[in-house]
Amino acid sequence: MKKSREFDNVLNECLERLLVNGETIEQCLASCPKQATELKPLLQTALVAKNASVIQPRPEFKARARYQFHLALQEVAAKRSRPLFGWQPRWATAIAIVLILLLTGGSTVAAADNSMPDGPLYGVKLATEQVRLTLTPSELGKAQLYASFTDKRVLEIARMAKKGKSEQVERTTQQLNAHLAMITQLVSAYEEEAGVLMAPAPAKVPGSSRQAEGKSFPAKQANMRAKLRTDMAYYAIHHPAVLRAALRQAPEAVKPALLRAIAVSEANYEKALEALD
Amino acid sequence: MQNEESLVRRAQQHDQDAFAQLYEEYFDKIYRYIAFKIGNKTEAEDMTQQVFLNAIKSISSFRWRGIPFSAWLFRIAHNQVVDYLRKKAKHATTSLDEVLVSNGNNPQLVAEQNLDIERLLLATKQLTQAQREVISLRFASELSIAQVARVMGKNQGAIKALQHSAIVALRKTLSVE
Repeated sequence: MKKSREFDNVLNECLERLLVNGETIEQCLASCPKQATELKPLLQTALVAKNASVIQPRPEFKARARYQFHLALQEVAAKRSRPLFGWQPRWATAIAIVLILLLTGGSTVAAADNSMPDGPLYGVKLATEQVRLTLTPSELGKAQLYASFTDKRVLEIARMAKKGKSEQVERTTQQLNAHLAMITQLVSAYEEEAGVLMAPAPAKVPGSSRQAEGKSFPAKQANMRAKLRTDMAYYAIHHPAVLRAALRQAPEAVKPALLRAIAVSEANYEKALEALD
Repeated sequence: MQNEESLVRRAQQHDQDAFAQLYEEYFDKIYRYIAFKIGNKTEAEDMTQQVFLNAIKSISSFRWRGIPFSAWLFRIAHNQVVDYLRKKAKHATTSLDEVLVSNGNNPQLVAEQNLDIERLLLATKQLTQAQREVISLRFASELSIAQVARVMGKNQGAIKALQHSAIVALRKTLSVE
């Protein structure tokens, strides 16, 4: 037992010298002549294993992953410093919006709908969107809302780029990215649920509310899904085109941020469409 | 790299530069660990990215209680690998070609390297789970014995013994001359 532990230690020391310090097998063996016969084949095997283990990630993947990582870091930082509504629970946001509606007759919310990321009412605009999401129960309904928000985000990115506002372009790109990720996630959740519900439908109950709506619930869902697919297919082409057009007119300083926005939108639309296919 | 403990503390306070340094330090190691364990390059890429996104989400819950950051990060990777393998319900045999190195201008060298990786992956299938874990962490991720011990929750003596038995088992399968 003691001898075995000693040998484990010697083997490990030799491995450190061989694999970390770059010494040769012969150099290692020379310093442990008593165990050399037993050590030699093990060190040879370790060297083969080490050399074969050097699997490198593709450079293009590393670049993409690094970019996504930094976006995620910025998203966390942005959440922490969000000035309006961002820290509040959903119900509080909803109450805040209802209060604003009551106090202003809805004019503030209406005005906020056209606001841009550099405007004072932009926080109200985002909060209103959150309320709409909170009040939408179905996954597909939420996904459809997110799709409509992507349209707004792309317009905002283009406007901010034209004004030369890199920071707002970056921040809005993060939001666009998050919307697209949510669409993919919601569609996947819907597909899983629909898979469970694919069992034969029970006999219809006369007078049931869904029947009273004139169209079966699954048929409605299928129509919503088809509409979402059509919208996303259109946006997948239209949005990168809008951003590329903005790129041509944008000041040089904004171009790197805009190029990232184009890359993000192209990659994430592809993922969302894959989830819908 | 700066003192790891100080970097982690800064990262916990949402210092982006500190987190970026930790990312650069561990990205390749985590990737190789996952690629080696699951044997699929594309999946390994997605999973590596996910490890770091999960780390961002849960870094605030990390506590220095004798467990280094590397051990914590590799535990995240390990859990993801376990989930993946459970879902696949079989071990890494499907896409060996995808795990192979694709960089390099010398096609002959790349082909030889690919063959070595394939042989090694097949050989590690003969090892026990613990032996395979030690080989992945030691040779693919280049962790020290102390670090491997922390990741696997064992003492250094046990890891050295596992390393020894794993190399002996590998030698039998690889028949190294």
